[in-house]
Amino acid sequence: MAVIEVTNLNLTYRVLMNRTGSLKELFKEAIKGRARVIDYVALEDISFTVEKGEVVAILGRNGAGKSTLLKILAGVLPATKGSSKVTGTIAPMIELGAGFHPEMTGAENVLFYSVLMGRDAKSVKARISAIGEWAGVSDHMRFPLRTYSSGMVARLAFATATDEQTDVLLVDEVLSVGDADFKGKSRARMNQLINSGAAVVLVSHDMSAVRELAHRAIWLENGHIKMIGVAKDVVAAYEAG
Amino acid sequence: MKYAQLIRLLVARELTLRYKRSVIGIGWTLLNPMLTSFVLWVVFSFVFASRLPSGQQFAPYLMAGILLNTFFNQGLMQSAESIASNGGVLTKIYVPPQIFAISAALAGLVNFFIGMLPLTVVVFISGQTLAWTFPLVLIVGICMALLVSGLGLACSILFIRFDDTRNIVAVLLMILMYLTPIFYPISVMNSTMQNIIHWNPITSYLDIFRWAFSNNATPTLFSWIYMCVWSAFGFWLGVYNFKKYWPRTVAML
Repeated sequence: MAVIEVTNLNLTYRVLMNRTGSLKELFKEAIKGRARVIDYVALEDISFTVEKGEVVAILGRNGAGKSTLLKILAGVLPATKGSSKVTGTIAPMIELGAGFHPEMTGAENVLFYSVLMGRDAKSVKARISAIGEWAGVSDHMRFPLRTYSSGMVARLAFATATDEQTDVLLVDEVLSVGDADFKGKSRARMNQLINSGAAVVLVSHDMSAVRELAHRAIWLENGHIKMIGVAKDVVAAYEAG
Repeated sequence: MKYAQLIRLLVARELTLRYKRSVIGIGWTLLNPMLTSFVLWVVFSFVFASRLPSGQQFAPYLMAGILLNTFFNQGLMQSAESIASNGGVLTKIYVPPQIFAISAALAGLVNFFIGMLPLTVVVFISGQTLAWTFPLVLIVGICMALLVSGLGLACSILFIRFDDTRNIVAVLLMILMYLTPIFYPISVMNSTMQNIIHWNPITSYLDIFRWAFSNNATPTLFSWIYMCVWSAFGFWLGVYNFKKYWPRTVAML
């Protein structure tokens, strides 16, 4: 069953030429008759599906549209044309700390991040100590996050995002967190989620991780799908070109 | 409601974070309006206290003004900033972004209610008592929260798109503050200025608040209608424009 169905998806940004981010500049440009609006095509004619329990990697150079595509899948950015349909709960594994606040304690951050993902506060509260333990930071859960090392924050974020079974997991470059020990542990948990039916969309520049984890891969170039297919073939082509 | 838990957490976070690293913590919420009022009272009581109508007291008059103006000013700015400062989350997880602006306004409302405790003390110290109309301050609070979250939503889009609008809004808010009878009685102004101040929506909110709390003003039916109209209009303005421009703005975060 397809959990993610993307059909003829287009995304166009309307941007001002010489965009400056200031009203003053905009007036100046407008008076000189230079305030032109151009359409910037970020994604064009993207179609693919992701099945239950399938891992799909998105490859491409910086600016190819990978993160934009993830934002559309997360439902944050509306598509200009075409559609993106995601069935079920989405757990975005966000880059280190977005959604985390340095002045709040580890426990408060876990609760906040979980509720943000749409989980029930009551059931999360019962899970907080288990999440802290799994991340290896139980002794620190009472302290503000600013006292954590970056590895500890990353482990806590991973532990929180993957604490509940989810239908779709969106992963943006966060697989290589923590030491070797934690890496093994996090891979095992990912596999467990996948085996229980979670679909994973994964953005990564780490080709060995993609080869190892992904079933299929999509190669994006300048907003177009350049190649789509079995992960190791696409990776080979990507690395060659 | 689906997002009630999130709103509760956001309001709590907003209230505690501001003073998290200070010694007396949330106690500042009580102290802040008292200290500001005290300073202004020392400065202005000689000039303006005698100009109030008989029966009204300058100290609670002033403090009520500061309390409501803080709610409006801080609430509006925090509500407007909330979207940009939570951009990291809003571009990753789908949550209606309006929730952040509304929570900031609600945190302002809670602060407003907390600030009424020291105001009550000041009312009694200056020899007044709470008016029987006291419960009506709830309506003023809710109306102000609507106005603040609406204007905050509208400003949040501007703030993300154009950096310099922050400064423009700050200046406009300052002008609006001086056009609100916070520390002066409206009677000290000439009739043209009185007219302008009269049309300032915040004046209506303030008149009703002062009257309801301890009978320190005389609002008219116009004040009530004007307050309600502005609350509804402000909220609608924000919600409508946010909905319209957000899809194009989120890409800039």
